[in-house]
Amino acid sequence: MPQTIDQTIIRIAEIIINELKLEDVTPETFDPDLDLIDEVGIDSMDLATIALVLRDEFGIRIDEDDYPTLTSVRIISHYINDKLNSDE
Amino acid sequence: MTAPQPEYKFAEIIADPLIRERWEKVRQYFFLRESTYDMTNRCNIRCEGCYYFSGEKQFARENRSQADWRTLLEGEKQRGITFVVLAGAEPSLVPELCAVCHQVIPLGAIATNGIRPIPREIDYRIHISVWGNDRSSERIRKAPDMLVRQLVNYREDPRALFVYTFTPDNIGEAREVSRILADNGQQLTFNMFSAPVGYSGPLRHSRESLLRTREMMSELLEEYPQNVLFSPYNIVAHTAEQSLHQLFSCSYPRQNPSAAIGLGKSFRQYRTDLQWDRQAACCVPDTDCSDCRHYAAGSAVVTARMYRHATDPVTFSAWLDYMDTYLAVWVTGYPKGATLCPTYINPPAGKERP
Repeated sequence: MPQTIDQTIIRIAEIIINELKLEDVTPETFDPDLDLIDEVGIDSMDLATIALVLRDEFGIRIDEDDYPTLTSVRIISHYINDKLNSDE
Repeated sequence: MTAPQPEYKFAEIIADPLIRERWEKVRQYFFLRESTYDMTNRCNIRCEGCYYFSGEKQFARENRSQADWRTLLEGEKQRGITFVVLAGAEPSLVPELCAVCHQVIPLGAIATNGIRPIPREIDYRIHISVWGNDRSSERIRKAPDMLVRQLVNYREDPRALFVYTFTPDNIGEAREVSRILADNGQQLTFNMFSAPVGYSGPLRHSRESLLRTREMMSELLEEYPQNVLFSPYNIVAHTAEQSLHQLFSCSYPRQNPSAAIGLGKSFRQYRTDLQWDRQAACCVPDTDCSDCRHYAAGSAVVTARMYRHATDPVTFSAWLDYMDTYLAVWVTGYPKGATLCPTYINPPAGKERP
């Protein structure tokens, strides 16, 4: 069943929290507009790990060249939805 | 054209207990963020094909102020640098500056020719360069008895790692040098001569010398598994006809226009005047990128391409071997594990380009 953007945002936040072992935040309270690199402190290897989990979860491929653009949960969710829609 | 979808999910790949164990081991070091620093514009030898004495950086004015270096390193720490590489021209000539770096950022490595010992309290990995046996060293580096002196200076020193640079002329000598190092209980890893921009001398590798080097590396890895820090995938990546940049698309600023994340965002290569230039920033500045097979470059360039290696258990195992080797080479005390992928695999292609 297709997910809404809000559902995608929650799931991505959950993945990031799990992979980075973030504390004191839940998927519901994670600000989707936080800058993952400058404000959360994610670096390229963390992002590659998250990209692999997202690949598993959503069945999409994330191009390495796109990493620099994936700077927030909201941007990632739109990226994923665009990928899913373009494959339909 | 769309890239083919992977056959394996990542979760399936890391479900293998050996792979999962290694994955959990190496990912603890994802926090490493490096920059490199030329410590002085002086060297006590002058080697043919030296990276330092190519290009503009050799003319930078030397800053020997410990206070200025401390300020620089504290700023580096503030912007997230967790690992320093002290190189050009010869850091052992300025141990007081190396000590300042170590006091501020405790993880790092020093590239040295090994002629002068670096004080023990500077607990960085010490990479000691070897360019063949002592007869070849005298010819190429114009310095006698280098290996003898290096072994004396770094006897039973856990920081020490000998870095054997293969040129077309010294491939056979690696057998003799490796035996001497193993007999002395030393560890070694392999580097490939990578031509500086404009270099057309005899040290540039050819298809034939790459193949001979591959065979020699394989032989030595098999013969001295406790001493040689390398893996079959390291061999493939560093002896391929294509350069590291051509295989993996180098992520250092010099070849990477994005300053958003990773090396493109954080890496700087400081000259000895404490200035840096994004256009020149990579681990071996002034190297010809189309000939770059340098071990330091691979340590960042191959490891950064994790995503493209996560296609199946074998390919990901090869990447883990490379990652494990990289950490053992650069981080003091990191124990290298057994090889997970003993066969040669082709480096996976990245995004298809028009």
